[in-house]
Amino acid sequence: MCDTCGCGDSGELKIHDRQHSHDHDHGHSHDHDHGHTHNHDHSHTHEHGSVLFTQAHNQPASKVINLNIDILSDNNRLAKLNRKVFEDRKILSLNLVSSPGSGKTSILEKTIKALSASRKIYVIEGDQQTLLDADRIEKAGAPAIQINTGSGCHLDARMVESAFKKLDVEPNSILFIENVGNLVCPAMFDLGEYKRVVVISVTEGEDKPLKYPYMFQSSNLCLINKSDLLPYVDFNTDKTIEYARSLNPKMEFIIVSAKTGEGMELWFKWLENQV
Amino acid sequence: MHEFSLALEVINLAQHEAEKNTGRTILEITIEVGDLSGVEADAFESALSLLVKDSILGKAQVNIIRMPGKGNCISCKLEFEMNHRMATCPKCQCFPSEIFGGEEFRVVSLVVE
Repeated sequence: MCDTCGCGDSGELKIHDRQHSHDHDHGHSHDHDHGHTHNHDHSHTHEHGSVLFTQAHNQPASKVINLNIDILSDNNRLAKLNRKVFEDRKILSLNLVSSPGSGKTSILEKTIKALSASRKIYVIEGDQQTLLDADRIEKAGAPAIQINTGSGCHLDARMVESAFKKLDVEPNSILFIENVGNLVCPAMFDLGEYKRVVVISVTEGEDKPLKYPYMFQSSNLCLINKSDLLPYVDFNTDKTIEYARSLNPKMEFIIVSAKTGEGMELWFKWLENQV
Repeated sequence: MHEFSLALEVINLAQHEAEKNTGRTILEITIEVGDLSGVEADAFESALSLLVKDSILGKAQVNIIRMPGKGNCISCKLEFEMNHRMATCPKCQCFPSEIFGGEEFRVVSLVVE
């Protein structure tokens, strides 16, 4: 899967290895089975009515190749490999998606502070630019790798594979993959995660599930964050849950405030139940 | 705008297939884009038309086939065309529906020379 989106080129992708030396492995080499070459240099004689044509062909005539290949198949193949690696090592992998500013990083900071004594936590951070989020995560006490996607709007399975190799994740740990803040594009890209967690905040409007149905259909848990602001905004939590459940009847919900800690125990319990 | 990276993915896929066929020229590529696939067909087509220059698809005719969304109402079982994922059943106004068409996003075929 290409790591770019919009006008960027692949040179913009940066994976910041914060544990070790800065090794920017952009590894996009593909191993293609090229088979072997054929020499089609031979001649044919065609008789068309009374006119005789002799034609030397260097190439055979056109042919149709039926493929029926899913365009995301390469990403899906890599995601499957990632999933296998995570499962084999009993690593709980969670893909956190949301629009920018919903509080994903704040939730992670509080989670790391609360749980890292009992369970090792690692974070892959995805942002277009800066190391700010990885800095925050490391200050909170978890090893982090920052992927800067340049102009790219989502993480893909190849980026996660590459970042995961640098993180040196211990078995029986939790790996959070904080996706680029965007409720549209990340919905299409399986990273190999065990579950997908969508975060929305009460300042965003209760109709978010209806506006971004793909993300809500593809997620397992919805964290409704910034509950401490509920008295000040017109946000109907029940309506949000109803909208999201109409798209995804199996979706679970936890209402939290990363700031005050309200509901965070339920989130920690949910995490422990997944391990 | 993930359509750009998806368009690049199509070019990579075409390149791979061309190499498997000893580097022959691609004359034509046919792609199905479902109305419920999450891919904006017009944006994807624009992205592809910008990116094919100097690629293996530089000389290829690109055929994009839009696939309509289709679903069965989970309540009255009516089969109906869905123009978006939230479409309600035209007969009983129920939601959701079981989607069985329109989620395609694939390269159907290539014509090589």
